[in-house]
Amino acid sequence: MSQILNPDELEVVDGREHENLEGWVPALATDEEVRLALEKAFDYRGDVTLTFKSGDRVEGYVFNRISGKTLADSFVQYFPANAPDKRKATYAEIARIEFTGKDRAEGKHWEAWVKKYNEKKAAGEKNIQLVPEALD
Amino acid sequence: MAVPISQMWTVATYVIKKRLSGVKRYPLVLMLEPLFRCNLACAGCGKVQYPPHILKKQLSPEECFAAIEECGAPMVSLPGGEPLLHPQIVEIVNGLVARKKYIYLCTNALELKRRIHEFTPSKYLTFSVHLDGQREHHDMSVCREGGYEIAVDGIKEAVRRGFRVTTNATFFDGTNPNDVRSFFDEVMGMGVEGIVLSPGYSYDKAPDQHHFMGRAKTRRLFRAILSNRKKSWKFNMSPLFLEFLMGKRSYECTPWGSPAYNIFGWQKPCYLLQDGYTETFKELLETTDWDGYGTSSGNPQCANCMVSCGYEPSAVSHGFGSLSGFFAMAKAALFTRYEDKGALDLLNNSFAAKHDQLVKIEGVKLPAVAQLEETRA
Repeated sequence: MSQILNPDELEVVDGREHENLEGWVPALATDEEVRLALEKAFDYRGDVTLTFKSGDRVEGYVFNRISGKTLADSFVQYFPANAPDKRKATYAEIARIEFTGKDRAEGKHWEAWVKKYNEKKAAGEKNIQLVPEALD
Repeated sequence: MAVPISQMWTVATYVIKKRLSGVKRYPLVLMLEPLFRCNLACAGCGKVQYPPHILKKQLSPEECFAAIEECGAPMVSLPGGEPLLHPQIVEIVNGLVARKKYIYLCTNALELKRRIHEFTPSKYLTFSVHLDGQREHHDMSVCREGGYEIAVDGIKEAVRRGFRVTTNATFFDGTNPNDVRSFFDEVMGMGVEGIVLSPGYSYDKAPDQHHFMGRAKTRRLFRAILSNRKKSWKFNMSPLFLEFLMGKRSYECTPWGSPAYNIFGWQKPCYLLQDGYTETFKELLETTDWDGYGTSSGNPQCANCMVSCGYEPSAVSHGFGSLSGFFAMAKAALFTRYEDKGALDLLNNSFAAKHDQLVKIEGVKLPAVAQLEETRA
């Protein structure tokens, strides 16, 4: 982690640049690539599809990762998209990762809302609002 | 202070018992997120950006009760998502009240008026209604025209029925302190018990990454807002935390003070950062690298944070955990005016321009006094 000299003097904070990973299929040739890909899967606000070395394939939301010394003692935890229970897999079991789900954080910036609002207001619309996405 | 004596007594005895028994890390408020689903789609919110199958999940009442039994905090905050969308929220609230936990049910109040009859007034239950400012400001903030009016209707109905009600505001870059002070007049006129406020935080899951203040700007803003207070304003918060926001005190973060529990488990290390989850509260306390978080750690993710979930527990522990802290708290509770000429200058000069829509305040020219004092925390 980079050190910040005096946080108390910060006027404005740079936000983190949003990385659009939707559709990404990372190479998993080395242990480091596996770790990096699963770290990004943990950060991703959408589903990923995991293909295991057993041939099983599951789409789900990765909500946790526990990094150990080897891939065999490192784990991801995820909720499958079509099952209610939490599941766990070692990094060593994973053969392929695809960022298949929609990135739910993409494009939801303040500026996008203000632009939309101003356009709708100029068009004479009433009750302008952003509506949560449908769940079904 | 707007916090009732019985609640203060509960918290004070809890802190003192923990201190006397040598417990180093103890929670004050459980941030119990029963679901992430929401009926708003606020642009700045990083709490609701999940796939539909995650948004459909929710904690059961039994899971909620197990979490509070496990961590033992005297207070519970029920944020989300929108808790009033949880079909068993009444059962959850009643179960927490039966356990004598002081609950802050954080709601946008879109459903409050419709569901209020299902709840029973209690000293343990407070509706903490999200209201970010006056009508135009709040509607822009929650990305919904008419949101303010619905929330205010809900507040008035809850007050009329004898519930404890507070408002809960988060302020981001672009907030005009003059407007905030007018907003305080408005909400106190609604009959609420007190106001809860916090600066925003640039947590990296938030889709909007461009409206977060650094600590210097945060202190300047809150100094302008909270100095020269009116007697009618009541705050449902630790007065020492408010002094911290104004730059009059320095605290380190207490991330374990407001642990978060949700469908994923116990969140590491705090309510705002998501660095993983544990199955148990004990595991959270024992396996989190606490030295890696907080401003003094040098962790850039913590550099600008002055948020209540991390720093209010520090202020409360200071206030109830030492004689000097107790006297400071008593003084802050008795002498609430905080006269400050420099803060008036900020209000009259730097922040005097009226903004239409949360316009950034970057580039605002400061009077010399403010430039000197803004980093005094």
